[in-house]
Amino acid sequence: MSDKRRFGWLCSAILIGLVAAAAWVLLSGDAARVNWDRAARAALRQPTGEAQLVSIAPFPAMQDGEMCEWMPASASMTLAFSLQAGGPAASNEGSSAGMNLPPVRVIRDTYATYSAIAVDLNSNEVLLQDENLFGIKVFDRLADTPPAAQFSEPKRQLVGHNTKLEFNCGLYVDPKTGDIYSVNNDTTDLLVVFPRGAAGDIRPARELETPHGTYGIAVDEDASEMYMTVEHANSIVVYRKMAEGAEKPLREIVGGDTQLEDPHGIAIDAKNQWIFVANHGNVGGRETLGISSRFDPPSITVYPLKGNGNIAPLRIIEGSNTRLNWPAALAIDEGRGELYVANDADDSILVFRVTDTGNAAPTRVIRGPKTQLKNPTGVFVDTKNSEVWASNMGNHRATVYDLQANGDVAPKRVIRSAPAEKVALAIGNPGAVGYDSMREEILVPN
Amino acid sequence: MAGENSQPNRLIAGQRTRLSRTMHDIRYDPVHDEMFVTNPFSRAILVFRGGADGEEPPIRIIQGSNTRLLGADRLDVDPVHNEIYVPNGRNVLVFPREGYGNIAPTRIITGPDLTSDDVGTLAVDPVNNVFVTARDIVREGQSNFSRLLIYDRTANGETNPLRIIAGPKTEIFRINQLQVYPPKGRILAAMPGAYDMQQPEGVFVGIWNITDNGDVPPRWKIAGPGSTMLKPRGVAINAKDKEILVGDMRMNAVLTYYFPEIF
Repeated sequence: MSDKRRFGWLCSAILIGLVAAAAWVLLSGDAARVNWDRAARAALRQPTGEAQLVSIAPFPAMQDGEMCEWMPASASMTLAFSLQAGGPAASNEGSSAGMNLPPVRVIRDTYATYSAIAVDLNSNEVLLQDENLFGIKVFDRLADTPPAAQFSEPKRQLVGHNTKLEFNCGLYVDPKTGDIYSVNNDTTDLLVVFPRGAAGDIRPARELETPHGTYGIAVDEDASEMYMTVEHANSIVVYRKMAEGAEKPLREIVGGDTQLEDPHGIAIDAKNQWIFVANHGNVGGRETLGISSRFDPPSITVYPLKGNGNIAPLRIIEGSNTRLNWPAALAIDEGRGELYVANDADDSILVFRVTDTGNAAPTRVIRGPKTQLKNPTGVFVDTKNSEVWASNMGNHRATVYDLQANGDVAPKRVIRSAPAEKVALAIGNPGAVGYDSMREEILVPN
Repeated sequence: MAGENSQPNRLIAGQRTRLSRTMHDIRYDPVHDEMFVTNPFSRAILVFRGGADGEEPPIRIIQGSNTRLLGADRLDVDPVHNEIYVPNGRNVLVFPREGYGNIAPTRIITGPDLTSDDVGTLAVDPVNNVFVTARDIVREGQSNFSRLLIYDRTANGETNPLRIIAGPKTEIFRINQLQVYPPKGRILAAMPGAYDMQQPEGVFVGIWNITDNGDVPPRWKIAGPGSTMLKPRGVAINAKDKEILVGDMRMNAVLTYYFPEIF
């Protein structure tokens, strides 16, 4: 018999053997009784009682060229063992398991959220304070995001580590020079100043150390003085407009008689020589002064422009008729004698007379779904063009209305920095995090 | 599961909530389905029902001169023994969980270490009967306050810590939020680095054991460029899924890490 024919007979025998084994499995109905040893022998692989290399296949290439990181199983150490004194007990303690461990999920808003707004009427530009991505974005005053557009790009922006912008809230633009004044509310306790046209990741032209928790800013241009509210100290601090470094304030309104209660927005009526302050109503108590901690209604308190020390307000606007609800920024139309309030938690802009007092109802209220107002924390009055602007922390928008607008009115223009349906995530300065195990929800206080 | 640009399921905000526009702690009580936060500006402890939403007021408020609260940023709740613990600067105040109004604390824990440390953050372990404190604002030259203090949970009056975790090996500069995982006796600490720096170096979330003492490094550390964290201030635990949640103030984000090692 030739080699070729012998080989053919051998293959046939193997094939018959395999078919017979398979048939036996099918007919016997009990795969457990299959003699895989016979099948393996028939396939020319001899059982050895040891592991055998059967095949080799490469791992799929990782996108970054690295292998998957080995994740050890949960620690098997008992509580009793772990409570032994001394150093690490489990073999995986002290390991580098956490070093450079990437998160499996990240909850963050990748779009700008606007805490304050100002308009440079010389350059016809709108400046928006982005407290989420820590920047200032500049748009043309007449920019109007088409409804179908994803968002509008700014003309330029200030952003980056060198700018020292962080938790930036108060914003002021010098009406003559266009200098940009930005107040940081937390961590870096600074007022930073940039020249008009500044862009990119650049250092401030000037810095002033401010008290912790400084929030709003207003400037008396005639006297060249700037006024800022300080939440934690319940005070108003007044500096030279050109102050810098560790320069001290010229004056400070502070004390139990001031009725400053977690002050936020501030505005100046230079015509009447008044200061207006929006308060959230949190009273921290000063037992030595006979003041107990409590929750008062939100209010607007009014002081003389040159006031100093522990002075009582000239007037207080407070009460249920006012509709105040976490009042944020303030702005004044001196010509008409009107005070505009960015009313954060009510999604509204309220308009009062500058002479209002007590439980006064606003003369106008811009509010409703057509307005696109959502947590407005910034407001700016443009008397030159007869418009009022709002920056909305709730929906990535700046919206502008006629100065005399009232009710549920659509804005004249909208500058939108995120897709139209996008609602802001509302995470800002997450100093803590909690976990609701019942609802499987992450709790984020801001 | 929430991720980038997710919308929140719920938003609790507005005047009636009595919340300030800034908060630095929140604790969930799974036994009674309640949330606990402080309002430091009005020196109050606010308790909300677990399912609160919108402009919903708190169900209980602890506030007033008898409370001795000084405007605490942080707190923790012990749902087993029904107590609220508040790091109050020079002391730790303990209130009944269901306390309401202008009530005095049931216990005031003081001591030279608490006084000097101006204690600002805390976590309580009701199973192993300890609580852990730390100072949350430490500036250059104050490294002697860079430490974790472990106390007997039932302490009252002038008390010394059972153990102190401190020293260069700990790499602690200051601690913001603290958590404990009682089944394994773990302490989780968010270490955000220098207070007045925007992106400090060496930030991490460190894990120790409640039995640790002295100059011991964290048993585990989530850190490094790959972790993406820039300034971690908050830390929480999802034990069921073996996850550690980190609130990062510089990123304005919450990061979730799968970390089965500590569970």
